[in-house]
Amino acid sequence: MDEMIIAILRSSTPLIYVTLAGVLAQRTGIWNLGLEGLMIIGACATVLGIAITGSFLQGFLLAVGLCVAASVLLWFVIERLKANQIIAGLGLTGLGLGGTAFAVEAYMGSQVAVTVSSGAPKAGPVLGAFGVLSIFVLLMPVVVLGLWVLLKCTRFGLQLAACGEHAFAARSVGADPSRIRLIALAAGGVLCAAGGAELATGSLQLFAQNMTAGRGFMAFAAVIFGAGHPVWSTFAALFFAVAGVLGIRVQLTFGDNIPHGLLQTLPYLATILGVWVSGKLRGGAKAATLTEEQSDV
Amino acid sequence: MHRSFVPALSCSGVTVQYGPVTAIAGLSIEFAPDLIHAVVGQNGAGKTTFARVAAGLVRPEQGQISVNGRPLPTGSVPNARAAGVELVHQSFALPPSFTIAEAMEFGSTRPGGIFSGRSLARRWKSHLRSLDITADPNSRIRDLPIEIQQGVEIARALVTESKLLILDEPTAVLSPSGIDLLFDRIRRLKSMGVTVVLILHKIREVLAVADTVTVLRGGKHVAGPLPCTELESASLARLIIGDGTTVREGGDIKALTGADAPESFERTAVPVTETPARTTAPLLEIRAVSTAPDSEGPPLSQIDVTLQPGEILGVAGVEGNGQRTLVRAIAGHADLISGTILFSGVDVTRENLTERRRQGLRIIPFERNTEGLSLTSSLWENWSSGALLQGSLLRYVRPAQMRASCDTTLSRWDVLYHDCRQSAGSLSGGNAQKLILAREIDDEARLIVAAQPGRGLDVGATAFVWDALRSARDRGCGVLLISSDLDELFDISDRVLVMLSGRSVGEHSAPYDLQAIGAAMTGANQ
Amino acid sequence: MSGQLTSVLRSLVFVLFALLLCSAIFQTSGFSAVQVLNSIAEGAFLRPNAAAQSLRWGLPLFITAVGVAISFRAGYFNIGAQGQFYIGSIAAAICAEALTGAPPIFVIPACFIAGMAGGAFWALWPGLLRIRSGTDEVITTLMGNFLASLLLIYVTSGPLKDPSGSGQQASSRPLDSSYRISDSLGVSPVIVTTALVTGVAMWLLVNRSAFGVLAGLAGRNGQMIRWLGTKQWQLGLASFLISGALAGLAGTLEFMGPNGRISSGFLPAHGFTAILIALVANTSVIGTAVASLFFGGLASAALYLPIMVGLPASAIDIINAAIALFITAKSAFVDRLLRVGRRDHG
Repeated sequence: MDEMIIAILRSSTPLIYVTLAGVLAQRTGIWNLGLEGLMIIGACATVLGIAITGSFLQGFLLAVGLCVAASVLLWFVIERLKANQIIAGLGLTGLGLGGTAFAVEAYMGSQVAVTVSSGAPKAGPVLGAFGVLSIFVLLMPVVVLGLWVLLKCTRFGLQLAACGEHAFAARSVGADPSRIRLIALAAGGVLCAAGGAELATGSLQLFAQNMTAGRGFMAFAAVIFGAGHPVWSTFAALFFAVAGVLGIRVQLTFGDNIPHGLLQTLPYLATILGVWVSGKLRGGAKAATLTEEQSDV
Repeated sequence: MHRSFVPALSCSGVTVQYGPVTAIAGLSIEFAPDLIHAVVGQNGAGKTTFARVAAGLVRPEQGQISVNGRPLPTGSVPNARAAGVELVHQSFALPPSFTIAEAMEFGSTRPGGIFSGRSLARRWKSHLRSLDITADPNSRIRDLPIEIQQGVEIARALVTESKLLILDEPTAVLSPSGIDLLFDRIRRLKSMGVTVVLILHKIREVLAVADTVTVLRGGKHVAGPLPCTELESASLARLIIGDGTTVREGGDIKALTGADAPESFERTAVPVTETPARTTAPLLEIRAVSTAPDSEGPPLSQIDVTLQPGEILGVAGVEGNGQRTLVRAIAGHADLISGTILFSGVDVTRENLTERRRQGLRIIPFERNTEGLSLTSSLWENWSSGALLQGSLLRYVRPAQMRASCDTTLSRWDVLYHDCRQSAGSLSGGNAQKLILAREIDDEARLIVAAQPGRGLDVGATAFVWDALRSARDRGCGVLLISSDLDELFDISDRVLVMLSGRSVGEHSAPYDLQAIGAAMTGANQ
Repeated sequence: MSGQLTSVLRSLVFVLFALLLCSAIFQTSGFSAVQVLNSIAEGAFLRPNAAAQSLRWGLPLFITAVGVAISFRAGYFNIGAQGQFYIGSIAAAICAEALTGAPPIFVIPACFIAGMAGGAFWALWPGLLRIRSGTDEVITTLMGNFLASLLLIYVTSGPLKDPSGSGQQASSRPLDSSYRISDSLGVSPVIVTTALVTGVAMWLLVNRSAFGVLAGLAGRNGQMIRWLGTKQWQLGLASFLISGALAGLAGTLEFMGPNGRISSGFLPAHGFTAILIALVANTSVIGTAVASLFFGGLASAALYLPIMVGLPASAIDIINAAIALFITAKSAFVDRLLRVGRRDHG
């Protein structure tokens, strides 16, 4: 049982961090499809950083720096150059996936995984069997709760929400929606770095090309399924992670007789269900479109 | 120039450009403290831009704003608010999902810390009560009636204990009694030591509430601040309209500027033309129609409307009382649960809009820029869309031919443009509306539904629209005119029907009784 | 037509931006950016055989991209080309499997139809969800891509599995050579004709039919067209289905032509590149054709780079991604730049 819980926590934590980054962006009115790219940059930079400097902390700081820089680039393109956020987000994802593959080949000269000798700090023996969990896992509930309080119970949270719902309202009380989006995306960059670092160094200590394997999109799905609420989205991510762990269990137990792909489709089907229901309830949440933009007022 | 006061708000030489358009040019005004100042002008005169410059929302290319004699860095809302300048927008600016208390906190500039819903309600209770807002602080903005929403907006603007409040066309959305309530509220604010700048549209309202009036035209300062006691409405109307615009004398001028009480209009045309159509079925007959509730305002309940050929039937009502649903029902877009709709005696309840258009229905929709036109599409595409929809979608068309006939039609309608391949967004509001008229009032048009056709237009363009509707009527078309502007309705309608909460609450004919219609609009007579 | 010229120039400026960003990435990774770009240009356009290679990749991309362009025009943000491409290829593969033994003259058209139907089906449900309940098609088509690739894994490792196949990539049984429409070089009369017919038909549909004009209007402003009484949903759904069918057709061509089989996760960037092409071309049909050849060249360079100059193939992914990042940008600065440029040239 412990083993099962550990497996679920380990697979859900990276997803949850990235989901929270998506929640922040979502609140300010940005559908961040660059999460996948940010996550893999986080994972790759942490591992390469450790490989170069030998210190986890420096590796993680490198990841934070690069993820924030990439987020700021996305912000610049969307907010300043008025690019379509869906396409720009997908572009960032491509840049992350391609760039990390390129960087690994450039620095390591091979296409196989990069392994390093140290990983994220662990909780230690005080937690018994759970001591193998990394600090990212332990901090995760605190971050979720903190974000919930920030969004629900502070004026900044109100401004963040206003930014997504009625940007002109935010402007007319003196809040700068563009700046708020920058803060939200940059903070999301830090969270993605944490998610990527946990994925690469939480239990494993390696980076492989394309190792996020769609987790960033799954996190995006969790944001939509959780209607942009930090706690509901976290539960959605947890649910997706549980489905994934169960899928592997089923596979191990029954072998190839049961297509475990069936369980893998769950996050995507759940998301389609989620947008369908929210569309029915709220008359349709709309992502960026290619049609004429509504005026500012 | 001598003056005995330090102006509460002054602007000097303010110029604002929006791309190629000069919104205001070299505007200089000084407003004395502790008074109610009105700023009037046609649409496009630059009133809203002026208000936004003062509130820091728009940074002017040139010019200076001062508050109580101290210059204010322009283009910064926090600076303007710190100096005590607050603006209440025409279309309200609060996120609809917020509660009243959240809206207050959202606008506050004091440190707020971490709060809960309950502590927030407690924090803002006394503030709300001091402004007569008795609604539950935890109710959501989107659930509030429009008068209370406006009250909440004003309360939001006053959370900083502002001493200078600017209201941008606050009366546009209100019923006559709602306007009285608003004016009471404004007079109370004046007595509390707040200087109020009111952007207004109607001379009648200026004279009712303001101490001084300033007139803008075409982005320029024309006159004022003049003390209202020394003013006559006729000369003020002249100032607003200017000499360059030709408008039908008499009723139209008064209606366009909201001068005098509407019931005293001299009616220019007595249009009850006894056409032979009287013996046939009415052009439009809506019989006991009710619709299913949806997100676009109250549903219709058991509404009856009859429109004869050769008449203009006005539909009055505070915005959001089912006018939109009425138009949607006529277009076949609403979900009817009972009742029938007939065009010239033919039941069209089950027909779609394409079929209804084939029978002569034409619609000038509420929102010119989003529902009437595709601003990023060319003029000829916008114009030809109506005709293209009749017939097979896969038929071969020649764009060059369509462009040629578009040119012919648009010049007949006096649309000012260079090339019919330019985008509709490059037209001015008046020309854009003419483009819609050119598409909708064609030879086959019989029943024209005009929803807020004069909204946002300057005086000349509004008069053009009215004349177009009148001449369509004189040709025998029936016109259903939906408007929240009573002056417009009284001036050109042959009959006026009042809507309240999706119901028809009475029909009036000229001479119109403002009191009775105003009471019907708010349900005060029930 | 100066508006169109400006939009083409704007696209080029942003492609240039993207290349600069890529150069920075290459340079910091220890490569010489000049050398990388040079090798890419050589791989894509300059070496012998480059034209044929660029056609091999460009033709299927064109077919998918022109479909994407049509749905974008109609205002439907279909980013599910990849999924529709996969489902199309799966449907064609199943059809070929079921009809094994029948004469090619019968099987090949049947597979084309099956592939287009498959792709259209994968566009149908997001289209219906959008029309019936306003469900955002961006998310449904995106999720559709993941579902389609899972389905591809399932069929290639299950019902259609090639038992003799080895290695980590599951594949279907190879298509009988009599049904192949091209060899592995991928340029054959059938494929070229299919692309030409598609191009001409779509150009006529977009530029010379009532449908084209109205779908364009509906795409830019769906509300407006609703008040004119059209069957907005007909326009939208038809465009959606066309884009799905064309992506499915491209999948069929890849399956029956150069690939000769379907394998799990094959051509993973096809749909994304097609979206890029549609955007670079600003959804014009002729522009799409030109851009397809350019991106087709880049795709062929991806194969050339590792073998000939020892550069990672992911360099091409980076370039495509960087173009995606910038291509939809609308910058007043760039517009001003373009205006100045035009005045200089008279």
